Amino acid sequence: LATTSRKARRKDWTKLIYTTALSPEQILDDAKEDGDDEGDDIENDEDDFFQIKTRATNVEAEVLDKTKDDIDEEELKKWEDEDMLDSLRRLFITGADVAAAEGG
Amino acid sequence: MATPTTLVHFSGHEHFRNRLVLSILSGRHVKIDKIRTDDKNPGLRDFEVSLLRLLEKVTNGTIIEISVTGTAILLKPGIIAGGPITHECPLSRSIGYFMEPIIMLAPFAKKAVNLTLKGITTDEHDLSADLLRTVTLPHLQLFGISDGLELRIKKRGAAPNGGGEVQFLCPIVKQVKTLNFVDPGKIKRIRGIAHAVRVNPQFSNRMIEASRSILNRYIPDIYLYSDVYKGEESGKSPGYALTLLAESTTTALHCAEAISEPGVLPEDIALKATRALLTELDKGGCADRKHQCLVLLMMVLGSEDVGRCRMGEPTAKTIQFLRDIKDFFATSFKIVPAEPSDPECKQLLYSCYGTGYVNANRTLA
Repeated sequence: LATTSRKARRKDWTKLIYTTALSPEQILDDAKEDGDDEGDDIENDEDDFFQIKTRATNVEAEVLDKTKDDIDEEELKKWEDEDMLDSLRRLFITGADVAAAEGG
Repeated sequence: MATPTTLVHFSGHEHFRNRLVLSILSGRHVKIDKIRTDDKNPGLRDFEVSLLRLLEKVTNGTIIEISVTGTAILLKPGIIAGGPITHECPLSRSIGYFMEPIIMLAPFAKKAVNLTLKGITTDEHDLSADLLRTVTLPHLQLFGISDGLELRIKKRGAAPNGGGEVQFLCPIVKQVKTLNFVDPGKIKRIRGIAHAVRVNPQFSNRMIEASRSILNRYIPDIYLYSDVYKGEESGKSPGYALTLLAESTTTALHCAEAISEPGVLPEDIALKATRALLTELDKGGCADRKHQCLVLLMMVLGSEDVGRCRMGEPTAKTIQFLRDIKDFFATSFKIVPAEPSDPECKQLLYSCYGTGYVNANRTLA
């Protein structure tokens, strides 16, 4: 994925949110404004009288208006690693000494 | 109301709840059309209609027009009346779906809200009754909404048949405080609620044990509570869940939750919840990710001063909410990296100038 290599470059969130027409998902996926997936090859039988609208907002399954994001099981796999678990110690009140001992 | 009652127009069923809330708070009319026009089952869903009915009960003088096909609505908000309300939630969504918008409105009601909701108390899409009680309400306290703020879980109700009941009590405020929350602090305690209804009560303990196997390494102050509900109070369907929350020295809260799935061991559910909590902690910030919208809304409504809050990256829902806020209140946020010198730090500092929203519904006395 190109997104990982561009990690260092920061997003200008204020600009992305208020001045672009990108969808929230596109902002999060680091999409470019011009490279829209407008022509998402939807089967469009040209001889049909009724045409399927290409401007469909979300062609995929119904997007639920929900608060809890689905838990990404793949992402959770990283916590099976002991080193990853230890890396979080810095966030806890008891973790200050550990970080100091390791030199930051 | 100072804001002109011009119409705000949206298309699509997404972000339905937030838009209705913003409309009612700002007093501006909202028109939402193209609601699932391309769906084979077009128009509003039963839970959305139910939410509109609930909003009608909470407010006074609200006019809701739904088109014949159900694909467009027009809402002309009245005042937020509050008072005692009872509502039966459809089983297609949990009570969290209905509570979340009510929580945003309730502090600005005319009379203190005393709302009883019946239905499913925990599901995978919306905040469960436990999260609402232990995480959402403390987020409101940041804004000076605290005395008499309470959520009682009277009965639990798992999907699909529900049977749960909660009572929500919310005080009214004149104005919310400006938030200035930039220090996430260090995590000092972890709390958890494990509940199991209509299944072996040992499931709670098994979840707690599995969760502790990961969390015990970090801090000693961990208390995972096994919440027992019996008989009538345990609803109509079997289910169990583990809700976890971590609190920092500066009272920043982060939470995660996992609920029972068929064919999955309670231990695995607990590990899922625990690892999800670690993911949340890793993202950090002063406010929980699921509560970004609530915090940002209250910041906009704050007194005429600059409010600041350090949070993780916005979710898709939050991004749209920020845009919607701009449409309704003409307020935009400044979002800058929290630590410009550290490229690894993904946390952001959100700041805005409060609109000085005053609860005009409050009885003058």
